[in-house]
Amino acid sequence: MRNFATPAAFLLAALAYFVPAVSGGAPVIYAACTTIALLAVMSYGADLILSYLGEVSLGHTIFWATGGYAASLLAVNAGWNGWQTAAAAVAVSVVLAAALGLATLRTREFVFSLVTYAAAVVAMEVAFNWSFLGGSDGVVGVPPLQLTLFGVGITGSSNADLWPVAWGLLMLTLLFIHRFRRSRLGTSALMVQMNPDLAQALGVDQRAVRFLVFVASAPISALAGWLYAYQRAYVGPDMFESYFLVLMLTAIVIVGRRLLLGPLIGTALIIVQQTFFSIGGDGDKIVLGAVLAGILLLWPKGLIGVWDALAVRRRSSRPRPSAQIPS
Amino acid sequence: MNITQQVINGLILGSGYALIAIGWTVLLGAARLVNFAHGQLYMLAAFVAWAAMDRLGVSYFIAVPIAVVVLGLVGVLLQIMMLRPVMQQNLTSLMIVTLGFGYVFQGGAARIFGGNPESFKSPLQSAEIRFGDIWFTWQDVVTLAGTLVLFAALWLVVNRTRLGALVRAVAEDPRLAQLFGIDAARIYIGVFVFECAAVALGAGLVAPRSPILASMGFDEVILTFVVVVLGGIGSVGGSLLAGFGLGMFTALFGALVSPAYTTAAAFALLVAVLVMRPRGLGAR
Repeated sequence: MRNFATPAAFLLAALAYFVPAVSGGAPVIYAACTTIALLAVMSYGADLILSYLGEVSLGHTIFWATGGYAASLLAVNAGWNGWQTAAAAVAVSVVLAAALGLATLRTREFVFSLVTYAAAVVAMEVAFNWSFLGGSDGVVGVPPLQLTLFGVGITGSSNADLWPVAWGLLMLTLLFIHRFRRSRLGTSALMVQMNPDLAQALGVDQRAVRFLVFVASAPISALAGWLYAYQRAYVGPDMFESYFLVLMLTAIVIVGRRLLLGPLIGTALIIVQQTFFSIGGDGDKIVLGAVLAGILLLWPKGLIGVWDALAVRRRSSRPRPSAQIPS
Repeated sequence: MNITQQVINGLILGSGYALIAIGWTVLLGAARLVNFAHGQLYMLAAFVAWAAMDRLGVSYFIAVPIAVVVLGLVGVLLQIMMLRPVMQQNLTSLMIVTLGFGYVFQGGAARIFGGNPESFKSPLQSAEIRFGDIWFTWQDVVTLAGTLVLFAALWLVVNRTRLGALVRAVAEDPRLAQLFGIDAARIYIGVFVFECAAVALGAGLVAPRSPILASMGFDEVILTFVVVVLGGIGSVGGSLLAGFGLGMFTALFGALVSPAYTTAAAFALLVAVLVMRPRGLGAR
């Protein structure tokens, strides 16, 4: 069954392309789907750190905002097209991640989380006060996204226009995560997390692994922020709000860590609740926070842990012909 | 530019930082638990005290103890919920759990107390003391004195009593402590209750300085991060020194360089220190 899991996951994600059209194509559906896709991409950035390094980065709002600011500033002030702003978002986020990655190279656990959080606070204060970045007003009037190649492509700002871009970005992210999981870096990262002594004995450079994974995670969140700037046509210091941070973490843990589709399904659940079953802004905060805390306290492995427990119970109630090695 | 006034401001600010940070640093030292809901607990305490004054009509001097007791009870509840991961020392999960709790408090407080800024007033705030062109309020004096008394009492408890020895034993090695018959779960609950009660006292003394808002949470206490880490994890004396040091730094930086970037500068300082000493200044 495991052999089919990955192709099935990709097929499922690919079919998601038709979700807005099939469910009626109303603007609110396109808006929800686009938002889910881009916030899921944002979460995959933090997922790389939480699932594969086992650390909690509270600084990924920096890269998310970096993408948004790079897109909006360059599109508004320099008239750059979508490809150019995307390249800039990736470049700036990699530079910032390298700096923060170097600063946190020797920190672990809560010190790592504190420093990344501190960096996010500094970044927000800078964004709030520096007129170059628009200060507290942010950057308004982001033009429609221009993403064309040899005359074909997308120009637009409505959610229906942006949906193919958001979906494509999501698919690219899933491919990247899939490749990462099988790459040398991905397996080394898991080894460093699960058994640092073994990693040491096998000659894995732990600091290099941590640094590279951190740097690799930044452009993912940055590209999500890049698209978010075009979706909202506005970027401001509110991109640093704890809403995005709590959303990232909840999306990752809700279904279960280290699952390819985990953050996507998690984000979808959260945004569907907030869009179609909202109980007011403050009520939604209570729901989001309670889900985050509740999942980790009741089922630390996420919803998949509940599923596994049920499966084990079902299997053990059936008579077994031969002994199995418990996994 | 009056340097003496700024030094006094720094002392007052610093005592507030130290007071708000102390529960956190004890919790971190004893349970290795980073409570990211600390700011929301501060907010909650301020609102409980405000509601006691505004809705029940009690005086400020009754409202603050009420807030301390209520927050202590909240602490018991929270710690009972978190007991399993705390006993397993699953620190990554715990950090995220407390973030979730904080978000629940923020939404809940806005629902219960409303989303508008409220003024939580202390009668001591308007009682000014002047020496020439230097001034401060009785509230500042009480905050400073309260901080010093609390720190002295805490230092004595931690270092000179059997209870303190138990807490230190659990902090050192919870499993080994349990082998010796120490009930680590109760120590963890006690430490968490202390954190909540101490932050409530901090809110009672410091929050009257400015309007309170359900969304203030982390922003209000963000600087206490610096105190906790720079003072050395779990070090009582270190926190007091770090609190005063940070108070001086923010007062002087705000007055001499730039008030807008004060928090950023304090955090830049923290990051710089942590790059050189990844476990904090107090670590040996």
